[in-house]
Amino acid sequence: MLLVLLALLSADTLPPVPGVAIERRLAAHFSVAVGDTIAVTPEPGGAVRRFVVEAVYEPRPDPATALRNEYHIRFHLPDLADLLGHPDRIDRMGVAAVAGIAADSVAARLDQRAFGYRAFASDVIAAESSRTFAVVSRFHRAIGVIAIVASAVFLLCIMLLKVEERRLDAAVMRLIGISRATVVRAFVLEATLIAAVGSVLGVGLAALAGVLTNWGYQRRFDTTLVFSYLTPDIMALGVGLSLLLGIGAGLLAARRLVAANPLALWRRAA
Amino acid sequence: MTGALVFRNLARHPIRTGLAVLGIAIAAALLLDMVMLSGGMERSFSRMLLSRGYQIRLSPQGTLPFDSEAVIPGATPLVATLRTDPDIASVGPVVATPIHVRTAGSTLTVVAYGIDPAGQGLYELERGADLAPGDTTGLLISEPAARAAGWAIGDTVTVFGRLDPQSAEPGAERRLTVRGVVRFLYDARDQRSVAAAFSVVQQFGSLAARDPASMVMVKVRDDALVDAVAARIAAAHPTVEVNSIAMLVAQFRGRLAYFQQLSLILATISLVVAVLLVGTILSITVGERLGEFAVLRGIGIRRSRIVRMVVLEGAALTALGVVVGLGLGLVAARYLDDILTAFPGLPAAISFFVADRDSVIRAGAAVLAAGTLAAAYPAWLAARAPIALTLRAEAE
Repeated sequence: MLLVLLALLSADTLPPVPGVAIERRLAAHFSVAVGDTIAVTPEPGGAVRRFVVEAVYEPRPDPATALRNEYHIRFHLPDLADLLGHPDRIDRMGVAAVAGIAADSVAARLDQRAFGYRAFASDVIAAESSRTFAVVSRFHRAIGVIAIVASAVFLLCIMLLKVEERRLDAAVMRLIGISRATVVRAFVLEATLIAAVGSVLGVGLAALAGVLTNWGYQRRFDTTLVFSYLTPDIMALGVGLSLLLGIGAGLLAARRLVAANPLALWRRAA
Repeated sequence: MTGALVFRNLARHPIRTGLAVLGIAIAAALLLDMVMLSGGMERSFSRMLLSRGYQIRLSPQGTLPFDSEAVIPGATPLVATLRTDPDIASVGPVVATPIHVRTAGSTLTVVAYGIDPAGQGLYELERGADLAPGDTTGLLISEPAARAAGWAIGDTVTVFGRLDPQSAEPGAERRLTVRGVVRFLYDARDQRSVAAAFSVVQQFGSLAARDPASMVMVKVRDDALVDAVAARIAAAHPTVEVNSIAMLVAQFRGRLAYFQQLSLILATISLVVAVLLVGTILSITVGERLGEFAVLRGIGIRRSRIVRMVVLEGAALTALGVVVGLGLGLVAARYLDDILTAFPGLPAAISFFVADRDSVIRAGAAVLAAGTLAAAYPAWLAARAPIALTLRAEAE
């Protein structure tokens, strides 16, 4: 009889349990589903409150938080304020300006109106929060420059050797009356072909590396964030640089070869 | 004799040799930078954390020190309990909160650290006087804070906690006298920070009634006891996160795993480039000199000597590249470090590229070994060439 009374009391008189939304990774980690009740405390050993999971959500991929491996729960604002013991307090709020009004001027007016907060236009916050990625970008660019210098030297070296290997051919061509310009054109064409084939292979290798990078990091951090993009711009830059360096190196080596006396070339080759 | 022959052969093609040396130098420089990057962050982070000898950090459970606004409640009894442990030499509670000061015409926000002068591992005094135990009216300031607020030692300043949004009335207000200028060990570049007595800064936070601490630093008498003391504290205070420096370094490593993986990938690529470069150049050179090797074999030079000669040629080429490359790598590391240490909020004491003898030796030895190994195939080609056939082909 007492149990029934308690059940009726709880159904009719107890306040409803507030709801929360939890992110998918957290739900998967603790095997929690929509409709489950979870116990939450603001600090270890603190007062426990119960909440019903009303939704499981997938957070928008954010590079600023993806690597931190933190879990997130979304509360209704009054519920969180009550849980933390800070009624009527917020950390930040978003303000939408009327269309046509500059966000900067609204922020300036808000700053003049009251104390205890600072107002920022969204682009200011975006610029500030993307500083980390700007640093990473600069680092990548620096490493890219080193890689380009290294590949330029490598390519020049290989082209020089390739053309020098053809001393006998160059000597024969020159001795049978083929002009210097034609010999240079032939070698440059060969260098272009080698650079083109190398570029295509390089793009393929980069695409494969990108796929592997995304697969590995997405699994590791359980995120849908894309870590490696191979855009047409990047491909064009890579292929363009390779062709430029390849043709340049081939031209340099070929001109060096045709500048020599054909008989001397013949003797060296023989 | 073999050595002289090797250098004469390299000198026969100065452009080819020069380009190969340059290519190997760039590969060696990149490898050195990546070796420095892979271990440098950890070493520099560990050095920074241990700079005042405190080997253990206590933070709110589930967080790392200063990783969130969470606090450890009941700091005073916790610190008192820790100080009774005979293995603990010193305990330094820290509470941090933003505070405000009025300067000419505006309000300046600075980070305030509450410390206990009897045990602090947060700063080093640069000039002036330190806070004395029990000094609740003194203030220590960082150089950037002094510059921004125009403070000097001996000035008396008014600081206050959060302002009421409507009335602009400060929540808590204190007049403090600047005693000295200090360097905060964990501050980012140009971070404006001040330090005052623990109990004074506690009042400025929103949780003053709960006797909060943001972090507690613990110095253990004997380094060998650090893990045991950390485990003992964790067992006695289950609501607090206890981390030794080794644990914090492991956490740091996890967060910066990207740079470690990048350094591993680029180091591997630079070694592959060195191998390809030396291997290709020597293969072509050997191909051009097959007749010469056949003659040497014909006059009785043993195969092993020919192999030694080609391998030595590869090693000499690589060694020249390594010497140039290591210097180049040290210069490039400074430039790359300047880029990465511009990360917002990164403590000024952290470096990504730390140059030490071990890194230089490891990088140099790896490139040298790779280059020498790359000479193995051309050496085999040179040694196995049949004497009669090669000489006949050369004669034709």
